[in-house]
Amino acid sequence: MAHPLERDPHQLPPESFLEEVHSFAFWFDAVQGYLGDLEHGHRRETPEAVLSPLEREHLVTVLCNYCVGETAALEGAGGLIQIAPNRHAKVFLATQTVDEGRHLEVLTGRLRELGVEDPEAEIARRGSRSLQEFHRRLLELVRGRDWIAALFAQNVVLECMEFAVFALHAKRADPRTCEVLSGIVKDERRHMGFGENELGRRLRDAPYARERLRAVRQELDALVLGSFEETMDAIGTPRADRTELGSHYLAAVARLGFA
Amino acid sequence: MTPADPLLEAEEPSAPRQRFVLDDRGFDEVPKKYRRFYRKWGGPGDALGANEALCPVCKIVVRSTRELRVGDRLYCMACMTRLVVVAGEGGRLEAQVVY
Repeated sequence: MAHPLERDPHQLPPESFLEEVHSFAFWFDAVQGYLGDLEHGHRRETPEAVLSPLEREHLVTVLCNYCVGETAALEGAGGLIQIAPNRHAKVFLATQTVDEGRHLEVLTGRLRELGVEDPEAEIARRGSRSLQEFHRRLLELVRGRDWIAALFAQNVVLECMEFAVFALHAKRADPRTCEVLSGIVKDERRHMGFGENELGRRLRDAPYARERLRAVRQELDALVLGSFEETMDAIGTPRADRTELGSHYLAAVARLGFA
Repeated sequence: MTPADPLLEAEEPSAPRQRFVLDDRGFDEVPKKYRRFYRKWGGPGDALGANEALCPVCKIVVRSTRELRVGDRLYCMACMTRLVVVAGEGGRLEAQVVY
């Protein structure tokens, strides 16, 4: 017989499901499952790989770009709390803000493990200009209190691409980087799901907003796609494997009604 | 169940549904009390059971204690998505997102 606490989630009414998964308690119980035993985002006993100077150089550049993306996500998620239209969204974004802060911390920690003495300076020096421009535009949308556009930029465009890139990179990465990225991917699943579902509900009720999002997408797609293409070059992803990168994002926007 | 919910459970046809006892497959992205309802997907070669559907948003396998039928409601707690079971190409059951 099932433990009394093992509830069948599929029997929940939709309102109760939304209440449950957007709660701080749900987030806390979920992340404990995979972050509990980690130190700096990886297990303490995971060995440091021996990297060639060129491999290290590429990895440092890639991690610096991830830090630019995570900084944008951290500031974006924190700002979105103010303009979120309901309590569920505000509480969820509070948990996402904590996630993004953790991501930035573990990625910066990984840079230190790789011998980077001043990660902030290195991120500023190596960070992709297109990602920095994306960061600037995202914060403009947040400051402009443009909820659907800012949420689309952050939780669909950025999170979907990060989810795909980090998952792909984790398959080829050294053991420590792999563990750091795998932990982040688990968080990204919630972030992109939240974005798609929240926007899906908004577009269902206000289909005219789709045109606004189409324009935002046209502007921001190139910035994010270009920077992640550079990342794929740096980590040596074969061309054939890169279709996976875009397909995830394209499937999400297709479900939202952007052909 | 909520009376106004359009995704009420599909009407029970004459054949009884197969029931399943779910085991914990180590999916650690949801609270412990929900873990047995989800598992990682092994890719295109991973055959889904009669009680399983793939979440199209995050590619996690969503599991039920009973055989799935068209119209059933499922939830993916890993990405917070509400799903409905539909007949896909060739009549194969699959999950579709409901916003």
